[in-house]
Amino acid sequence: MEYRVRFYVNNEPIELSVPANRTLLSVLREDLALTGTKEGCGAGECGACTIIMDGKAVNACLILAPELDGKHIETVEGLANGSELSPLQESFIEHMALQCGFCTPGMLMSAESLLRENPHPTRAEIVDAMSGNLCRCTGYKKIVEAIEAVAEKGVYEK
Amino acid sequence: MKEFQYLLPHTVAEAVALKEKYDKAAVFMAGATDVVVRMRDYLLTPEYVIDLKAIPELGGITFSKEKGLHIGALATMNEICADENVKQYYPTLAKAAGSVGSKQVRNRATCIGNIVNASPLADTATPLYCYDAIVEIAGPNGTRELPITEFILFVRKVALERGEMVTGIRVPFKEAQGEFCKISRRDQVDLSTVCGTVLKIDGTYRVAMGSVAPQPRRLPKTEALLNGAPLTPERIEEAAQLATTEVSPIDDVRADKQYRLDMVAYIVRNALGKLA
Repeated sequence: MEYRVRFYVNNEPIELSVPANRTLLSVLREDLALTGTKEGCGAGECGACTIIMDGKAVNACLILAPELDGKHIETVEGLANGSELSPLQESFIEHMALQCGFCTPGMLMSAESLLRENPHPTRAEIVDAMSGNLCRCTGYKKIVEAIEAVAEKGVYEK
Repeated sequence: MKEFQYLLPHTVAEAVALKEKYDKAAVFMAGATDVVVRMRDYLLTPEYVIDLKAIPELGGITFSKEKGLHIGALATMNEICADENVKQYYPTLAKAAGSVGSKQVRNRATCIGNIVNASPLADTATPLYCYDAIVEIAGPNGTRELPITEFILFVRKVALERGEMVTGIRVPFKEAQGEFCKISRRDQVDLSTVCGTVLKIDGTYRVAMGSVAPQPRRLPKTEALLNGAPLTPERIEEAAQLATTEVSPIDDVRADKQYRLDMVAYIVRNALGKLA
Protein backbone atom coordinates (compact mmCIF):
# COMPACT_ATOMS: atom_id res chain seq x y z
CA MET A 1 0.00 0.00 0.00
CA GLU A 2 1.26 3.46 -0.92
CA TYR A 3 0.56 6.80 0.72
CA ARG A 4 0.27 10.09 -1.14
CA VAL A 5 2.40 12.73 0.60
CA ARG A 6 2.86 16.41 -0.27
CA PHE A 7 5.69 18.20 1.48
CA TYR A 8 8.50 20.70 0.93
CA VAL A 9 12.21 20.05 0.70
CA ASN A 10 14.31 23.22 0.80
CA ASN A 11 11.17 25.15 -0.19
CA GLU A 12 10.55 22.97 -3.27
CA PRO A 13 7.10 21.35 -3.26
CA ILE A 14 7.28 17.57 -3.59
CA GLU A 15 4.50 15.08 -4.24
CA LEU A 16 5.20 11.36 -3.95
CA SER A 17 3.56 8.01 -3.37
CA VAL A 18 5.46 6.14 -0.69
CA PRO A 19 5.10 2.84 1.13
CA ALA A 20 4.84 3.04 4.93
CA ASN A 21 8.03 1.11 5.60
CA ARG A 22 10.35 3.70 4.04
CA THR A 23 12.07 6.46 6.01
CA LEU A 24 12.56 10.14 5.19
CA LEU A 25 16.26 9.36 4.85
CA SER A 26 15.69 6.84 2.07
CA VAL A 27 13.17 9.15 0.33
CA LEU A 28 15.69 11.99 0.32
CA ARG A 29 18.57 9.88 -0.94
CA GLU A 30 16.85 7.45 -3.30
CA ASP A 31 13.74 9.22 -4.61
CA LEU A 32 14.94 12.83 -4.56
CA ALA A 33 18.66 12.18 -5.19
CA LEU A 34 19.57 14.47 -2.29
CA THR A 35 22.54 12.43 -1.13
CA GLY A 36 24.01 15.13 1.12
CA THR A 37 22.09 13.61 4.03
CA LYS A 38 24.05 10.52 5.09
CA GLU A 39 23.12 7.21 6.65
CA GLY A 40 25.43 6.27 9.49
CA CYS A 41 23.82 4.05 12.11
CA GLY A 42 20.23 4.21 10.86
CA ALA A 43 19.04 4.09 14.47
CA GLY A 44 19.11 7.69 15.72
CA GLU A 45 22.47 7.48 17.42
CA CYS A 46 25.07 9.07 15.12
CA GLY A 47 23.34 12.18 13.74
CA ALA A 48 24.73 11.80 10.18
CA CYS A 49 21.17 12.07 8.81
CA THR A 50 20.23 15.20 10.80
CA ILE A 51 17.85 17.45 8.91
CA ILE A 52 15.55 20.25 10.02
CA MET A 53 11.83 19.41 9.99
CA ASP A 54 9.33 22.18 10.74
CA GLY A 55 12.15 24.14 12.38
CA LYS A 56 13.55 21.33 14.54
CA ALA A 57 16.65 19.19 14.16
CA VAL A 58 15.66 15.54 13.86
CA ASN A 59 17.11 12.26 12.61
CA ALA A 60 15.78 11.52 9.09
CA CYS A 61 16.32 7.78 9.68
CA LEU A 62 13.62 7.74 12.38
CA ILE A 63 10.85 9.40 10.37
CA LEU A 64 8.44 7.23 8.40
CA ALA A 65 7.71 8.39 4.86
CA PRO A 66 3.91 8.76 5.39
CA GLU A 67 4.63 11.18 8.24
CA LEU A 68 5.98 13.68 5.71
CA ASP A 69 2.61 14.96 4.53
CA GLY A 70 2.50 18.73 5.10
CA LYS A 71 6.04 18.95 6.49
CA HIS A 72 8.81 21.42 5.67
CA ILE A 73 12.18 19.70 5.38
CA GLU A 74 15.54 21.44 5.18
CA THR A 75 18.63 19.49 4.16
CA VAL A 76 22.28 20.40 3.77
CA GLU A 77 21.63 21.08 0.07
CA GLY A 78 19.44 24.02 1.14
CA LEU A 79 22.16 25.83 3.09
CA ALA A 80 24.10 27.35 0.18
CA ASN A 81 22.58 30.14 -1.86
CA GLY A 82 23.43 29.06 -5.40
CA SER A 83 27.20 28.80 -5.47
CA GLU A 84 27.56 30.92 -2.35
CA LEU A 85 28.19 28.78 0.72
CA SER A 86 26.47 29.58 4.03
CA PRO A 87 28.50 31.19 6.84
CA LEU A 88 28.62 27.84 8.66
CA GLN A 89 29.84 26.00 5.56
CA GLU A 90 32.53 28.66 5.00
CA SER A 91 33.56 28.45 8.64
CA PHE A 92 33.82 24.63 8.57
CA ILE A 93 36.21 24.95 5.62
CA GLU A 94 38.18 27.81 7.18
CA HIS A 95 38.63 25.91 10.46
CA MET A 96 39.23 22.56 8.73
CA ALA A 97 36.35 21.23 10.76
CA LEU A 98 36.14 18.07 8.66
CA GLN A 99 38.36 15.26 7.51
CA CYS A 100 36.51 12.48 5.72
CA GLY A 101 33.39 14.68 5.58
CA PHE A 102 30.81 11.96 6.15
CA CYS A 103 29.43 13.51 9.34
CA THR A 104 29.63 17.08 8.04
CA PRO A 105 26.11 17.48 6.57
CA GLY A 106 24.59 16.35 9.85
CA MET A 107 26.98 18.55 11.84
CA LEU A 108 26.03 21.55 9.69
CA MET A 109 22.30 20.97 10.14
CA SER A 110 22.62 20.56 13.94
CA ALA A 111 24.75 23.72 14.10
CA GLU A 112 22.29 25.58 11.87
CA SER A 113 19.42 24.56 14.13
CA LEU A 114 21.36 25.59 17.26
CA LEU A 115 22.32 29.05 15.96
CA ARG A 116 18.79 29.81 14.80
CA GLU A 117 17.48 29.00 18.28
CA ASN A 118 20.40 30.54 20.14
CA PRO A 119 22.57 32.94 18.05
CA HIS A 120 25.21 33.30 20.81
CA PRO A 121 25.66 29.90 22.48
CA THR A 122 28.35 29.28 25.06
CA ARG A 123 30.90 26.57 24.34
CA ALA A 124 29.04 24.26 26.71
CA GLU A 125 25.78 24.90 24.86
CA ILE A 126 27.47 24.14 21.55
CA VAL A 127 28.91 20.88 22.85
CA ASP A 128 25.53 19.94 24.29
CA ALA A 129 23.61 20.72 21.08
CA MET A 130 26.16 18.85 18.95
CA SER A 131 26.34 15.78 21.18
CA GLY A 132 23.96 13.84 18.94
CA ASN A 133 26.43 14.05 16.03
CA LEU A 134 29.36 11.68 16.00
CA CYS A 135 32.62 12.38 14.17
CA ARG A 136 35.30 9.70 14.05
CA CYS A 137 38.03 11.94 12.55
CA THR A 138 38.28 15.44 13.95
CA GLY A 139 38.05 15.07 17.70
CA TYR A 140 35.31 17.77 17.61
CA LYS A 141 37.54 20.71 18.63
CA LYS A 142 37.61 22.31 15.21
CA ILE A 143 33.89 21.75 14.72
CA VAL A 144 33.16 23.61 17.95
CA GLU A 145 35.56 26.40 16.94
CA ALA A 146 33.94 26.72 13.50
CA ILE A 147 30.53 27.17 15.13
CA GLU A 148 31.88 29.63 17.71
CA ALA A 149 33.39 31.74 14.94
CA VAL A 150 30.03 32.03 13.16
CA ALA A 151 28.28 32.87 16.44
CA GLU A 152 30.82 35.63 17.11
CA LYS A 153 30.05 37.24 13.75
CA GLY A 154 26.43 37.56 14.83
CA VAL A 155 24.98 36.48 11.48
CA TYR A 156 22.14 34.60 13.15
CA GLU A 157 20.93 37.57 15.21
CA LYS A 158 17.29 38.31 14.56
CA MET B 1 11.46 -2.98 7.87
CA LYS B 2 8.51 -5.27 7.17
CA GLU B 3 5.57 -3.79 5.23
CA PHE B 4 2.72 -2.41 7.30
CA GLN B 5 -0.25 -0.09 7.03
CA TYR B 6 0.10 3.42 8.40
CA LEU B 7 -3.01 4.70 10.17
CA LEU B 8 -3.55 8.30 11.23
CA PRO B 9 -6.56 8.72 13.53
CA HIS B 10 -7.72 12.23 14.46
CA THR B 11 -9.41 11.46 17.78
CA VAL B 12 -8.68 9.25 20.79
CA ALA B 13 -11.93 7.36 20.13
CA GLU B 14 -10.76 6.55 16.58
CA ALA B 15 -7.33 5.45 17.83
CA VAL B 16 -8.86 3.21 20.49
CA ALA B 17 -11.28 1.66 17.96
CA LEU B 18 -8.40 0.85 15.60
CA LYS B 19 -6.32 -0.69 18.39
CA GLU B 20 -9.28 -2.72 19.63
CA LYS B 21 -9.91 -4.01 16.12
CA TYR B 22 -6.33 -4.92 15.24
CA ASP B 23 -5.12 -5.67 18.80
CA LYS B 24 -1.65 -7.25 18.79
CA ALA B 25 -1.22 -6.71 15.05
CA ALA B 26 -1.14 -2.95 15.68
CA VAL B 27 1.32 -0.74 17.50
CA PHE B 28 0.86 2.88 18.62
CA MET B 29 3.51 5.38 17.57
CA ALA B 30 4.15 8.94 18.75
CA GLY B 31 7.78 10.10 18.55
CA ALA B 32 8.74 6.94 16.65
CA THR B 33 12.27 6.98 18.09
CA ASP B 34 11.81 3.56 19.62
CA VAL B 35 9.17 2.01 17.35
CA VAL B 36 11.06 2.70 14.10
CA VAL B 37 14.33 1.31 15.46
CA ARG B 38 12.58 -1.82 16.71
CA MET B 39 10.80 -2.29 13.38
CA ARG B 40 14.06 -1.75 11.52
CA ASP B 41 15.63 -4.54 13.57
CA TYR B 42 12.54 -6.77 13.11
CA LEU B 43 11.99 -6.83 16.88
CA LEU B 44 8.56 -5.39 16.11
CA THR B 45 6.71 -6.55 13.02
CA PRO B 46 3.27 -4.96 13.21
CA GLU B 47 0.74 -5.11 10.40
CA TYR B 48 -0.59 -1.70 11.43
CA VAL B 49 1.15 1.34 12.87
CA ILE B 50 -1.24 3.82 14.49
CA ASP B 51 0.38 7.26 14.50
CA LEU B 52 -1.04 9.41 17.31
CA LYS B 53 0.44 12.72 16.17
CA ALA B 54 -2.74 13.99 14.45
CA ILE B 55 -4.78 13.87 17.68
CA PRO B 56 -4.73 17.46 19.02
CA GLU B 57 -6.11 16.56 22.47
CA LEU B 58 -2.97 14.49 23.22
CA GLY B 59 -0.58 17.44 22.94
CA GLY B 60 0.73 19.87 25.46
CA ILE B 61 1.92 20.32 29.01
CA THR B 62 -0.25 22.13 31.55
CA PHE B 63 0.39 23.04 35.17
CA SER B 64 -1.40 24.52 38.16
CA LYS B 65 -0.62 24.09 41.86
CA GLU B 66 -4.15 22.72 42.40
CA LYS B 67 -4.17 20.19 39.57
CA GLY B 68 -0.45 19.55 39.28
CA LEU B 69 1.39 18.85 36.05
CA HIS B 70 -0.29 17.20 33.08
CA ILE B 71 1.89 15.74 30.33
CA GLY B 72 0.03 14.89 27.14
CA ALA B 73 0.93 11.78 25.18
CA LEU B 74 2.53 13.87 22.44
CA ALA B 75 4.66 16.15 24.65
CA THR B 76 8.27 15.69 23.60
CA MET B 77 11.26 15.36 25.90
CA ASN B 78 12.56 18.74 24.72
CA GLU B 79 9.20 20.40 25.37
CA ILE B 80 9.23 18.93 28.87
CA CYS B 81 12.78 19.90 29.78
CA ALA B 82 12.29 23.44 28.39
CA ASP B 83 8.94 24.01 30.12
CA GLU B 84 9.23 26.76 32.75
CA ASN B 85 6.83 25.07 35.19
CA VAL B 86 8.57 21.70 34.88
CA LYS B 87 11.96 23.36 35.42
CA GLN B 88 10.72 25.26 38.46
CA TYR B 89 8.47 22.72 40.19
CA TYR B 90 9.74 19.36 38.88
CA PRO B 91 13.47 19.91 38.25
CA THR B 92 14.25 16.20 38.59
CA LEU B 93 11.81 15.42 35.77
CA ALA B 94 13.22 18.23 33.63
CA LYS B 95 16.72 16.84 34.14
CA ALA B 96 15.63 13.28 33.38
CA ALA B 97 13.81 14.30 30.18
CA GLY B 98 16.85 16.31 29.10
CA SER B 99 19.13 13.32 29.63
CA VAL B 100 17.38 11.11 27.05
CA GLY B 101 19.25 10.48 23.79
CA SER B 102 20.34 13.46 21.70
CA LYS B 103 18.71 16.79 20.91
CA GLN B 104 17.42 15.28 17.67
CA VAL B 105 15.87 12.32 19.52
CA ARG B 106 14.39 14.57 22.23
CA ASN B 107 12.69 16.70 19.56
CA ARG B 108 10.60 13.63 18.71
CA ALA B 109 10.64 11.23 21.67
CA THR B 110 7.81 11.55 24.18
CA CYS B 111 7.71 11.00 27.93
CA ILE B 112 4.58 8.87 27.58
CA GLY B 113 6.39 6.71 25.02
CA ASN B 114 9.28 6.35 27.46
CA ILE B 115 6.87 5.03 30.10
CA VAL B 116 4.77 2.81 27.79
CA ASN B 117 7.96 1.19 26.46
CA ALA B 118 8.49 0.04 30.04
CA SER B 119 12.22 -0.28 29.82
CA PRO B 120 13.77 -0.87 33.27
CA LEU B 121 16.08 2.06 32.57
CA ALA B 122 13.50 4.58 31.30
CA ASP B 123 15.04 7.89 32.32
CA THR B 124 11.80 9.70 33.13
CA ALA B 125 10.40 6.86 35.25
CA THR B 126 12.16 7.39 38.58
CA PRO B 127 11.11 11.03 39.11
CA LEU B 128 7.54 10.08 38.14
CA TYR B 129 7.66 7.14 40.59
CA CYS B 130 8.78 9.48 43.38
CA TYR B 131 5.98 11.95 42.64
CA ASP B 132 3.34 9.15 42.62
CA ALA B 133 2.39 10.07 39.06
CA ILE B 134 -0.94 8.84 37.67
CA VAL B 135 -1.22 7.22 34.24
CA GLU B 136 -4.37 8.21 32.34
CA ILE B 137 -5.74 5.46 30.11
CA ALA B 138 -8.46 5.54 27.44
CA GLY B 139 -10.03 2.37 26.11
CA PRO B 140 -13.15 0.84 24.59
CA ASN B 141 -14.92 1.03 27.96
CA GLY B 142 -14.02 4.63 28.74
CA THR B 143 -11.17 6.06 30.77
CA ARG B 144 -9.38 4.89 33.88
CA GLU B 145 -6.33 5.81 35.92
CA LEU B 146 -3.49 3.81 37.44
CA PRO B 147 -0.59 4.79 39.69
CA ILE B 148 2.58 4.58 37.61
CA THR B 149 4.02 1.98 40.01
CA GLU B 150 1.13 -0.33 39.07
CA PHE B 151 1.31 0.50 35.36
CA ILE B 152 4.78 -0.88 34.54
CA LEU B 153 4.59 -4.63 35.24
CA PHE B 154 7.83 -6.03 33.85
CA VAL B 155 10.41 -5.46 31.10
CA ARG B 156 8.35 -4.02 28.21
CA LYS B 157 5.10 -5.12 29.83
CA VAL B 158 2.44 -2.66 30.99
CA ALA B 159 -1.08 -2.91 32.44
CA LEU B 160 -2.94 -2.01 29.24
CA GLU B 161 -5.93 -4.11 28.17
CA ARG B 162 -7.07 -4.71 24.61
CA GLY B 163 -7.73 -1.44 22.78
CA GLU B 164 -6.33 0.74 25.55
CA MET B 165 -3.86 3.59 25.18
CA VAL B 166 -2.20 6.10 27.48
CA THR B 167 -3.46 9.64 26.87
CA GLY B 168 -1.35 11.42 29.47
CA ILE B 169 0.36 11.38 32.84
CA ARG B 170 -0.63 13.54 35.78
CA VAL B 171 1.98 14.50 38.35
CA PRO B 172 0.59 15.86 41.62
CA PHE B 173 2.14 19.11 42.78
CA LYS B 174 4.22 18.75 45.94
CA GLU B 175 6.94 21.04 47.23
CA ALA B 176 9.94 18.77 46.77
CA GLN B 177 13.68 18.89 47.03
CA GLY B 178 16.04 16.29 45.72
CA GLU B 179 17.97 14.95 42.79
CA PHE B 180 17.77 12.88 39.65
CA CYS B 181 21.03 11.13 38.85
CA LYS B 182 21.90 9.23 35.69
CA ILE B 183 25.05 7.13 35.58
CA SER B 184 26.03 6.24 32.03
CA ARG B 185 29.17 5.37 30.14
CA ARG B 186 29.10 8.70 28.31
CA ASP B 187 27.64 12.05 29.40
CA GLN B 188 25.40 12.33 26.35
CA VAL B 189 23.47 10.05 24.03
CA ASP B 190 23.67 6.96 26.18
CA LEU B 191 21.39 4.65 28.07
CA SER B 192 21.42 4.68 31.85
CA THR B 193 23.66 2.14 33.52
CA VAL B 194 21.80 3.11 36.67
CA CYS B 195 19.46 6.03 37.21
CA GLY B 196 17.70 7.16 40.33
CA THR B 197 15.72 9.88 42.03
CA VAL B 198 15.71 10.85 45.70
CA LEU B 199 13.09 13.38 46.82
CA LYS B 200 12.12 14.95 50.12
CA ILE B 201 8.42 15.84 50.08
CA ASP B 202 6.66 17.26 53.18
CA GLY B 203 9.47 16.00 55.39
CA THR B 204 9.34 12.43 54.08
CA TYR B 205 11.73 10.72 51.71
CA ARG B 206 11.05 8.93 48.45
CA VAL B 207 13.64 6.88 46.61
CA ALA B 208 13.29 5.26 43.18
CA MET B 209 15.89 3.43 41.09
CA GLY B 210 16.05 2.40 37.44
CA SER B 211 18.05 -0.23 35.57
CA VAL B 212 18.49 -2.35 38.68
CA ALA B 213 15.37 -4.56 38.47
CA PRO B 214 12.95 -5.75 35.75
CA GLN B 215 11.07 -2.49 36.21
CA PRO B 216 11.82 0.87 37.82
CA ARG B 217 11.34 0.50 41.54
CA ARG B 218 10.52 2.50 44.67
CA LEU B 219 12.58 1.42 47.69
CA PRO B 220 10.06 1.22 50.59
CA LYS B 221 12.43 -0.13 53.26
CA THR B 222 14.96 2.60 52.56
CA GLU B 223 12.21 5.22 52.64
CA ALA B 224 10.87 3.86 55.97
CA LEU B 225 14.35 3.97 57.49
CA LEU B 226 14.81 7.58 56.39
CA ASN B 227 11.39 8.65 57.58
CA GLY B 228 11.97 7.22 61.05
CA ALA B 229 14.66 9.54 62.39
CA PRO B 230 16.80 12.61 61.63
CA LEU B 231 19.20 12.48 58.71
CA THR B 232 22.63 11.93 60.27
CA PRO B 233 25.75 10.80 58.40
CA GLU B 234 25.32 7.34 59.97
CA ARG B 235 21.69 7.19 58.84
CA ILE B 236 22.68 8.18 55.30
CA GLU B 237 25.23 5.39 55.13
CA GLU B 238 22.74 2.91 56.54
CA ALA B 239 20.19 3.99 53.88
CA ALA B 240 22.75 3.70 51.08
CA GLN B 241 23.53 0.11 52.14
CA LEU B 242 19.88 -0.81 52.69
CA ALA B 243 18.99 0.50 49.22
CA THR B 244 21.30 -2.09 47.65
CA THR B 245 19.25 -4.87 49.26
CA GLU B 246 16.03 -3.64 47.63
CA VAL B 247 17.25 -3.94 44.04
CA SER B 248 18.23 -6.93 41.90
CA PRO B 249 20.55 -5.75 39.12
CA ILE B 250 22.07 -8.02 36.50
CA ASP B 251 25.35 -8.12 34.60
CA ASP B 252 24.99 -6.81 31.06
CA VAL B 253 26.91 -4.97 28.35
CA ARG B 254 26.78 -1.69 30.23
CA ALA B 255 27.99 -2.83 33.64
CA ASP B 256 28.17 -5.72 36.02
CA LYS B 257 25.91 -6.30 38.99
CA GLN B 258 28.38 -5.13 41.63
CA TYR B 259 29.00 -1.82 39.85
CA ARG B 260 25.25 -1.19 39.74
CA LEU B 261 24.91 -1.97 43.45
CA ASP B 262 27.74 0.44 44.22
CA MET B 263 26.05 3.13 42.08
CA VAL B 264 22.72 2.67 43.87
CA ALA B 265 24.51 3.31 47.16
CA TYR B 266 26.31 6.28 45.62
CA ILE B 267 23.11 7.89 44.26
CA VAL B 268 21.35 7.55 47.64
CA ARG B 269 24.38 8.77 49.63
CA ASN B 270 25.06 11.69 47.31
CA ALA B 271 21.45 12.94 47.12
CA LEU B 272 20.85 12.57 50.87
CA GLY B 273 24.14 14.32 51.61
CA LYS B 274 22.78 17.39 49.81
CA LEU B 275 19.45 17.19 51.64
CA ALA B 276 20.99 16.82 55.12
